[in-house]
Amino acid sequence: MHNHRHPIHCIVPPHMLKEIATNGTQGQRDMAVETLKASAQMRGQRIALSDFTAATFRVEAVGGKDRIVYDAKNGSTLPGTLVRKEDDPPSADVSVNEAFDGSGATYDLYKNIYNRNSIDNSGMRLDSTVHYKVGYDNAFWDGQQMVYGDGDENMPENERLFNRFTIAIDVMGHELTHGVTQFEAKLVYSFQPGALNESMSDVFGSLVKQFQKGQTAEQADWIIGEGLFTSNVNGVGIRSMKAPGSAYNDPVLGKDPQPAHMKDYVNTVSDNGGVHINSGIPNRAFYVVATEIGGFAWEKAGQIWYIALRDKLTSSSNFQTCANLTHQTAGELFGANSLEQQAVKKGWADVGITIGESPTPTPPGDGCFGSLMRLLGAAPAKQ
Amino acid sequence: MDVKRIKYERTGGFAGIRIAADFELEDLAEEQAEQLRNLLDDVDFDELPEKLIKGGPVPDGFTYIITVESEKVEYTVTTSDTSAPTKMQPLLELLYQIARQRARKK
Repeated sequence: MHNHRHPIHCIVPPHMLKEIATNGTQGQRDMAVETLKASAQMRGQRIALSDFTAATFRVEAVGGKDRIVYDAKNGSTLPGTLVRKEDDPPSADVSVNEAFDGSGATYDLYKNIYNRNSIDNSGMRLDSTVHYKVGYDNAFWDGQQMVYGDGDENMPENERLFNRFTIAIDVMGHELTHGVTQFEAKLVYSFQPGALNESMSDVFGSLVKQFQKGQTAEQADWIIGEGLFTSNVNGVGIRSMKAPGSAYNDPVLGKDPQPAHMKDYVNTVSDNGGVHINSGIPNRAFYVVATEIGGFAWEKAGQIWYIALRDKLTSSSNFQTCANLTHQTAGELFGANSLEQQAVKKGWADVGITIGESPTPTPPGDGCFGSLMRLLGAAPAKQ
Repeated sequence: MDVKRIKYERTGGFAGIRIAADFELEDLAEEQAEQLRNLLDDVDFDELPEKLIKGGPVPDGFTYIITVESEKVEYTVTTSDTSAPTKMQPLLELLYQIARQRARKK
């Protein structure tokens, strides 16, 4: 999908790479950035190499916000035709501009608030494809890029349920955060680690929207995917972080199945073990933490969650582990027993998780089913 | 394969909303049934791998489980958006449309 040019490796000194990365042709720039990135990946293996440190710093300097939007033209081939790149003027196509602006707003939140330079923290280019397939009411992250469908535009108008998936800015934040998780905690996409992976995407997706609107935790609607449903649907959005299970209740789509508490945890093998269902539990915990702390949610609650995602959580972390680690992080950032740390404790207690309990015993709602699934290899091993 | 009955299920996706349909071909309008028969033929459905999945799960991607029954045999294929070959896409599109039409009638 992406061009894989041969990095120049260690032959060209970093200062020259920086020059190329800044002033070269597009092809030269890509190659120089690749090389600087490759150098960054050698971290830990070549500590003695003095040039290396300089190179890592320069990755930050050269790889700024860099976006590309492709058009699949209703086909399924990715990435499709290039229609807008970083310095191009806006397109006549609203989906193209929404994908471009949404990934830009997400980049800005990560850069300005968490000092993270893109998905990989090394200035990775943000690629999006719009107009994927026909009647495709979805968006996803394929491991390398974001992909957006146009909704169910091929249905008769009075039967349409979904608008284009770029219509809600938190969708772009959600998809791009799947990329961040892929580079950091690497949460396995099934059962509780998968639901945490989903929740992280909802948390930072919602924060992108709140950041852009300048809303405090009290002012935010905490709805994920506001505007995705057409007026034919009885619903305000896809999920509610504030009140999971209340986002929609519709004759065709059914009722929002999200639980807001561990006692209602849903055991299922469908949807990779209910990753879009049980994410309601950590979503609600974050909402409570953010409103307990008050003010802009991205400042403190977001910082706690971001550090946990970046430095603490691992691929098999479950809800209990996440609760313990966010609590620990809050203590490190704001002090033991600080108001912030108390808020984290309260947030998890609200959804039925007590800080400090060992993640090893089978959590409520998992039970025999979870044990069976692990035995069958359908669920990741517990920590 | 003389197709009699089809079971379709789509799970996952950004919204996590499952949609499913279970119908006999004779329940469909003649034209739609013919279109579906042709699309199944086009992909040689009963010769597709049962697990038509490349790589690990795609965050927010759909999973499709399609079972086609004749009088004598039944064959199930599990696939995803990024794993299904291009020639299979029209089949996935039509099955989803049928599932939506039937969900509405209920």
